[in-house]
Amino acid sequence: MDINFAYFIAPVAVGGISAGLAALISVTDKIVNNYGDIKMDINNGKKEVVVKGGQPMLFGLAEKGIFVPSACGGRGSCGTCKVTVKSDVGPVMPTEIPWLTKDEIAAGVRISCQIKLKQDVAIEIPEELFYVQEYQATIERITRVTHDILEVSCKLPEGKEVTFTSGQYGQFEVPAYGKVKEKTMRAYSMSSPPSDKNRLEFLIRLVPGGIVTTYVHEHLKEGQKIRVVGPFGDFQVHDTGAQMICVAGGSGMAPFKSIFQDMIDKGTLNDREIWYFFGARTKKDVFYLDWLYKLDEEHENFHFIPALSEPQPEDDWDGPTGLITEVLDGYLKDTIDPEKEKEGYLCGSPGMLDACMKVMSDNGMESEKIYFDKFA
Amino acid sequence: MNAAPILNPFSLFVASIFTSNILLANFLGMCSFISISKDMTSSNGLGMAVTVVLTITAALNWVILHHVLIPLQVEYLRFIVFIITIAAVVQVLEMVIDRVSQALYMSLGIFLPLITVNCAILGVSLFMEIRNYTFVQSAIYGLGSGLGWWLAIMALAAIRKKTEKSKISPGLQGPGITVITIGFMAMAFVGFSGMLAVQ
Amino acid sequence: MKMSPEYRKAQENMQPGVITADGFLGSDTRNIVEIIEADEAEFNRLGMDFDEVAAQLRHLLNEGRKGLDEPITVDKNWIVTTTEARGHLASPFEDGIFRKVNATIQRAPGGKPEGPSLLVSDLSLHLMEKNHFLQGKDASFRIEPHVVKTVLGL
Repeated sequence: MDINFAYFIAPVAVGGISAGLAALISVTDKIVNNYGDIKMDINNGKKEVVVKGGQPMLFGLAEKGIFVPSACGGRGSCGTCKVTVKSDVGPVMPTEIPWLTKDEIAAGVRISCQIKLKQDVAIEIPEELFYVQEYQATIERITRVTHDILEVSCKLPEGKEVTFTSGQYGQFEVPAYGKVKEKTMRAYSMSSPPSDKNRLEFLIRLVPGGIVTTYVHEHLKEGQKIRVVGPFGDFQVHDTGAQMICVAGGSGMAPFKSIFQDMIDKGTLNDREIWYFFGARTKKDVFYLDWLYKLDEEHENFHFIPALSEPQPEDDWDGPTGLITEVLDGYLKDTIDPEKEKEGYLCGSPGMLDACMKVMSDNGMESEKIYFDKFA
Repeated sequence: MNAAPILNPFSLFVASIFTSNILLANFLGMCSFISISKDMTSSNGLGMAVTVVLTITAALNWVILHHVLIPLQVEYLRFIVFIITIAAVVQVLEMVIDRVSQALYMSLGIFLPLITVNCAILGVSLFMEIRNYTFVQSAIYGLGSGLGWWLAIMALAAIRKKTEKSKISPGLQGPGITVITIGFMAMAFVGFSGMLAVQ
Repeated sequence: MKMSPEYRKAQENMQPGVITADGFLGSDTRNIVEIIEADEAEFNRLGMDFDEVAAQLRHLLNEGRKGLDEPITVDKNWIVTTTEARGHLASPFEDGIFRKVNATIQRAPGGKPEGPSLLVSDLSLHLMEKNHFLQGKDASFRIEPHVVKTVLGL
């Protein structure tokens, strides 16, 4: 068969031209998208790092072991990764605007996962971030404490230790699963004490439709490896000797478990009056009762007051009943010494926090001395 | 093949901007014209981008037409090949804009890749081919058409800005009054037609 | 139907795993513009107004906060349980962020619960007010027009 080469000219011509243009695009890409190395000046010279340019600031920092907290992993959908930028990085992106107030924008606060590193920058980050590390923890044990709360205990790799203050939280990362196509991180307070240097424990309550809590409750297995970044947060006990009025509900117990165990470890539990109010609806919503009743018995200054708002007949409950705010109010008026200094420590949903803060200030407690877990 | 037209380069340049404005006389390049003219800064940016693309593609397509397609006797491939070069040039331009000004890149958004299918770009290359321009004439025509497109979109953006606060009957608001405005602009430019030769 | 870039981006954001685990579209195969138009027609047919209904649901959600995460009777006619989880959710239309406040609302004349219950959130009410978007069929936070009519007693 005689092949007429003229038939090949057309496709070869088109192919050749396309190849030539593709090469042109490739070359331009290498030139234009090569930002070289970028110098990042952090906290006015306190630390300087050099990272590969062209990537978002959040990832550049993470590359050098500086972990700015992020709930969505850099997708621009949580607004957590705020960083104060001192040098010029271009105008505020439309993707950043929903997360920043006018004052923040004026102060140079930006969403670091939306800023591409194109030139040297100078930024400011909170001091505590220098102590944040990432850990490849292994799930050691998962225990159910109530119908919707799991106690998750993770072991750190051999020889790796974590240093934190009781009351702080960690960012817990779960992998892509089911219909969720990307890794997601959420914040949970550490319920393990700081003395436990090789272990981290969290109390995780199932939130309907929640990406991470659904994974933890339905897919997490013992022996699995999980990435944890931390510690973060400034909720902690203030060493003043004042009476501690602590209020928590549900998974809000976590930081207090860490705090009280920490005080036992350090031998400071007897140094001040501690009132711990734990509010729930029925008996099946409370947990760690044995441990807390024991602390109440063994330590004269430690008072555990669990309150159920709607105890069921089968609960056989003879403890305080009613909303935790009512019970708190009652104790502040009738039982707790009004003369001695008081500090408030709160951990729970924003609605509960607001209600408790109102009760506390109505009973004469100063709002600056009421501390709460703020990462909502 | 016919010979190249004998044209004064300067008069070709002026003609392609004013009297044979690619948008208002030939009605090519309408879609982004109507949508982006809502905002003056984006119109400015897009006008610049279209000018760059037009100049480069008109020249590049001339080279490919006369040095690859015609020698190989495959001029019939010009439609496909012109589109491929336009797409490549726009891709390169996108990368450069992203590097130079991320704000402009974000504000142009989807309209940057839409330049590829903007009929004005292909139209200029095809006019260049039909009218048998020389290389220099193609480049001038491309540059001039781009500037003309830029001028037209800036004019429309300015008019839309001025009439933002005017009372317009509900049925005509938005696209309606915009198209009517474009019609008026075109009528004004019709007055120039034929004054200067483009072919 | 051709959708503007804003709606297309919103629909992408509504996929499972982007903002919430299950997404906002449930098992619906229609695009969001079709869903909105169908629901607008349904509301019209049932004689309900989006702004009024959203305002009433929001009132019930807010009153429910007094229960501190537990059920509470509101206005003598509804039992509302308002809960809140840590963190924020972004609106799929990229027009704001919202605390994770959820409320189950059930009609309860004289304190006795009856009929279906409706699950709403701060975000779902915002989507209803701003975009008339009630979410896809079988989505867990879908505000079904006839259910709203029954629950609110309209």
